[in-house]
Amino acid sequence: MIEVKHVTKYYDNFLAVDDLSFTVNDGEIFGLLGVNGAGKTTTFRMIIGLLEKNKGTILLDGQPIDYNQTDKIGFLTEERSLLTKLTVKEQIIYYATLKGMKKNQILAKLDYWLKRFGMEETKNQKIKELSKGNQQKIQFITAIINEPKLLILDEPFTGLDPLNVDLFMKIIREFKEKGSSIIFSSHRMEHVELFCEKLVILVKGKSVLQGKLTDIKKDYQKKNIHIVGNISKEELKQIPGVLNVLETAQEIIVNIKDDSYIKDVFKIVRQKESITKFLVEDPTLNEIFLSKVGEAYEK
Amino acid sequence: MKNKFYFLIKQSLKKKIDTKWFKVANVILAILLIGILNIDRIVSFFGGDFEEKTTIYVKDSLDLFPSFVASFTESASLLKADNYELKQITEEETLKNDLTAESDYIILELLPDSKEYLKGHIISFEQPNTITEELIRSTLTTLKTNLAIKELALTPEEITALTSSVTLDTTLTNPDAKTTEEKQTASLGLIMILIIPCFFLITLLVQMIGAEINDEKSTRSMEIIISNVSPKIHFLSKIIASNIFVIFQSFLVLGYLVIAMLIRSIINHTSLALASASATNSLTEIIQIFTNQNILNIFLKGLPIILILFLLSFILYAVVSGVLASMTTSIEDFQQLQAPLMIILVLGYYLALMASAFEGSIFIKITAYIPMLSFLIAPTLYMLGQLSLIELLITTSITGAFTWLAFKYGLRIYKVGILNYSSSKLWKKIFKSLREK
Repeated sequence: MIEVKHVTKYYDNFLAVDDLSFTVNDGEIFGLLGVNGAGKTTTFRMIIGLLEKNKGTILLDGQPIDYNQTDKIGFLTEERSLLTKLTVKEQIIYYATLKGMKKNQILAKLDYWLKRFGMEETKNQKIKELSKGNQQKIQFITAIINEPKLLILDEPFTGLDPLNVDLFMKIIREFKEKGSSIIFSSHRMEHVELFCEKLVILVKGKSVLQGKLTDIKKDYQKKNIHIVGNISKEELKQIPGVLNVLETAQEIIVNIKDDSYIKDVFKIVRQKESITKFLVEDPTLNEIFLSKVGEAYEK
Repeated sequence: MKNKFYFLIKQSLKKKIDTKWFKVANVILAILLIGILNIDRIVSFFGGDFEEKTTIYVKDSLDLFPSFVASFTESASLLKADNYELKQITEEETLKNDLTAESDYIILELLPDSKEYLKGHIISFEQPNTITEELIRSTLTTLKTNLAIKELALTPEEITALTSSVTLDTTLTNPDAKTTEEKQTASLGLIMILIIPCFFLITLLVQMIGAEINDEKSTRSMEIIISNVSPKIHFLSKIIASNIFVIFQSFLVLGYLVIAMLIRSIINHTSLALASASATNSLTEIIQIFTNQNILNIFLKGLPIILILFLLSFILYAVVSGVLASMTTSIEDFQQLQAPLMIILVLGYYLALMASAFEGSIFIKITAYIPMLSFLIAPTLYMLGQLSLIELLITTSITGAFTWLAFKYGLRIYKVGILNYSSSKLWKKIFKSLREK
């Protein structure tokens, strides 16, 4: 379990992280969200000890994180952090040894993970000779090879095709099952939505929304109604409680204030003869994110 | 943590040594060193005009030819110039008319002179080379002296007394006193044996450490490394690995020199000692000086302190270059920043060379106490007798203390620098990091 308690970080007079607190239990995936410069990477760097915090405490299993604990942590940085002149094998041995692993252990795990990612033939290739996606896979292997208790993933899906995103997600879920605490950041809300149970949204270093994803969606009262059929945008806009109507190639999406207005919309729609779809959905995390971040900036 | 520290050193060394280019560079280095030490043999093997004999036709109306041959041969053998043939002629006209650019002879006329006893007249197509001209000049001067002595009808004893050099006895009250020439040659020897190689090794060390830190920074692998080992362990591993590397490289160079000497001894059919002694004139001179018991004793007495001073200075240069590399964000920036370090090295080298010319210079003596310069100047002054063993110890202690301080405060900059990717407000960040413990 990782506990971040009232952590504050200043760069000179610039407040990068402001009194941030959250807890990630064992076997939990936690999303740390925010626009560029919101303080996500600074938070990660403070957790792994690369940056000193000005205030607050960070505990892993009840202990402050120091160099005696780092062997239990796996960290995937947002940017590539590989020594491009090394071969895949040399690179993984290098980072895994720094995690306190023995060479025979590393080699066994290396073969397993390369096979899992379908990269056995790259074992003796130089990192610089690999594609962007394969480099990302190697970086991911270096983060998980020590079976970390705490896994920090800063934009893990960068440069990956949908198939490999799916494979990464599967593996991340496996670590969750094994009891690892996973902190995850991504700009792609659909990824976060797929497997984060809890999250925090940061704006200018401050938490503007925090909690379980289900509770957040519940608390966020706005709903979306997806309609397919012969009905005009203007007609829908006249209905009380309708905030916005968006027409796409396939359907019309009606954004309402809260679920009490569903029946008003339904009353109008049912009068039409050719309606083939009427579906009420919770808002997407992307909408919640945009709304919360927008509100915070307006303030 | 200890295992990680050793692993980082091993990894750092592997990165430098277990590469194709290290092997290629060392093969080239070995070939070049073997070639340089046997350059005279290589030049002789391929031959050239220098091998052709020059004939000097001497037209002698004074009956001096036998004396000319004896004196010329003696002077030529001193200069190891054996490619001359001397022939007497009575008539020069045909030879003079046949002179062309390809001619391998010159004509020398020995002419009487009422005032100067003897004059020479050279006839050649082009200006004879300097050695030939000087040999003829010195031979004629000897002949002229002999003619003058003969004319004055001096006895053999008088001639000997007149021509022998003045005896100049010296009494030195200092029992350890050395001659100026000995002192200067000893310091020159030290510069050649220790200081010049160290100059190159430090240049190598600075570039190695800078390139490695910049590589880890620019690939962002530094973040992963520092999240697993402390900056102190990382910094120490770089310092130790780069020092081990340069020591290893210097042993390799020493090995190549031994091979070069062996090859020379095989070619010359002489012993290894003779081969090494004949390798170059200056090397011969140095070896001879260090076989002087007095000089050798002084050198051996100071050697342990000199070696410690060298080691401390190597560490100091590694610390400074590591700190500079941590501040930069690319290898190009580091190359610019290392320029002042190179200037300091060059300054130290020149001051060491100047030490024998400016004996007792207070300025040079002061610079011998300045860390980063001291390892170049202090041993030279010690060999010149301008610095005592105690003073050598003091300058080593100063360098030791400075190295420790440089590491202590440099580490603070290093901690901040290695994770800094921006050059904006760099100096502000550095000064701030110096204040933080």
